[in-house]
Amino acid sequence: MRSVAIRKIRPYLYLVPSLVFLAIFTYFPILYSLYLSFFKQNILHPQPVFAGLANYVDVFDEKLFFTVVKNTFFYAVTSIPVTMGLALVLAIFLNEKLGWVRNIYRVVAFYPTMIPMAAAGMLAVWLFNPGIGLVNFYLKKFFGVSTIEWLYDMKWALPAIVITSIWKNFGYFMLIYLAGLQNISGELYESADLEGCGFLQRLRYITLPLLRPTTMFVIIVGLISSFQVFDLVYTMTQGGPADSSNVIVYYIYQYAFRFWNIGHASALTVLFVSALLIFIVFLVRTVERRVHYEV
Amino acid sequence: MKSNVYSKSNSPNIFRKFLHWIRVTHAHIHLFLILLCGITIAPYLWALSTSLKHRVDVFTKTPQWIPNPLRLANYSEVFEMAPFGLYLINTMVVVTVILAFQLLTMTTAAYAFARLEFRGSNILFMFFIIQMMLPVHATILPNYLIVNKLGILNTRLALMMPFFATGYGTFLLRQTFRQIPKDFEDAAIIDGCSGLRFLYSVLIPMGKPTLVAQGLISVVTHWNDFFWPLVVSDSPNIRTLTIGLAMFVQQESGADWTLLMAATIFVTAPLMITFLIFQRKFIESFMSAVLKG
Repeated sequence: MRSVAIRKIRPYLYLVPSLVFLAIFTYFPILYSLYLSFFKQNILHPQPVFAGLANYVDVFDEKLFFTVVKNTFFYAVTSIPVTMGLALVLAIFLNEKLGWVRNIYRVVAFYPTMIPMAAAGMLAVWLFNPGIGLVNFYLKKFFGVSTIEWLYDMKWALPAIVITSIWKNFGYFMLIYLAGLQNISGELYESADLEGCGFLQRLRYITLPLLRPTTMFVIIVGLISSFQVFDLVYTMTQGGPADSSNVIVYYIYQYAFRFWNIGHASALTVLFVSALLIFIVFLVRTVERRVHYEV
Repeated sequence: MKSNVYSKSNSPNIFRKFLHWIRVTHAHIHLFLILLCGITIAPYLWALSTSLKHRVDVFTKTPQWIPNPLRLANYSEVFEMAPFGLYLINTMVVVTVILAFQLLTMTTAAYAFARLEFRGSNILFMFFIIQMMLPVHATILPNYLIVNKLGILNTRLALMMPFFATGYGTFLLRQTFRQIPKDFEDAAIIDGCSGLRFLYSVLIPMGKPTLVAQGLISVVTHWNDFFWPLVVSDSPNIRTLTIGLAMFVQQESGADWTLLMAATIFVTAPLMITFLIFQRKFIESFMSAVLKG
């Protein structure tokens, strides 16, 4: 009898190490955020006072919140498509037989992945320096563009962050596409040839549909990471000038660790996590409905 | 030649035909790639060049790519101004301990999910998947409060503990363990080798490529981590490289680019050099992690 009991418990014992840490640092924090979001607690009132939904009302009362959401969306919708497009083209090219240099291309495209975001931010601050930065120099030399103030200009600060993130991420996305291209079997194209399919038909009916799961994966990874952009904003602009490059996570950071307004920051966190999860579930559902080709 | 997943190009010939169709030859592709790679590599080379210059040479009218005269003293100056050696040690400790714990937690959990039948396994597995999707940055504030309550704020333990379990790693490893045929298990059981011993002597050796891949990804991720260490490390004694760099910038307030770039290069160098040496392994690992996902 004893051995049966042990056999029944054993699987759970193997999960305990993981579950302990996941419970303390992942599941509990989410619930804890939810709990804290119903209390007013800040530097003036260190003792939490129940406040109902007041924190949530406060969130929407602030104009800056909408600016920050808009900036985050701007960041996502500009950086993801460009990064993806670049990555896809690069992956298709690198899937060609290009000889030994192919490896060099791949290493050069991928190396930014190894650089910490914070360090990438530092490099960018130096390159985007209006006076002696490399970017302005070559823009002027090759395109005759007059000096852009980049990180000091409300119009250009966020685009500079977007450009930096594209440089930092496209190599990683390229690798995902390379992996996806390898999954497509050559036989499909051969049978398409037998059927007498033209080039565009094959692109339309084989390559693109079969790359769709990869593309969806890239979009989801891209969305999760771009909604969380923080390191670049912290090191490059601190959200400035005049909050023109402030984004959701940085905004939460300000409320939590600069103003010590725990209640407000928690309400923001709850809204942020729910929005992101709903978004992801919606995306995954859409993909599942549309991808029938997968074997 | 070592065999690897990507060395043989099974590029569907459709692309070749497409490229031919719009009259793109390999020469065009090379041209495009060289241009793109040139733009990609420029920032790092420029930083390296800046870090080896005299301060006045930064202000030349046209960019001076090759430092003349060369000045290595920037690096020793950076070391005098901030304890970057200590930051390096801290980072290595943090990364290693996280990896050790992750290997322990994910192998046992992946084994249970892949090989054992038990009630609620699907629901429990969902919990691991959820962790994969949850934005890590969202749990920073509550985790800060928790770490504070546990009394370990401002310790190395606080830097590491939240990452001891990994949903993603468990997921990848489960996929790998599941692909190992049942015959192996039966044979092992006949040899009187089951449970943890089976895990240790059969599954782990066979899942080694996945473990290496997940290990590399974990090291890169936590070497580069920023937000969490920024929040929990107040004292210079436990700071990691990325935080050390950010604090150095504030201390310097952007005055001397040669020093700032020397610090930046130093912070990125260990991982970059390792990557250049083992680039095949790195790229293979990152790619295999995607393929299984």
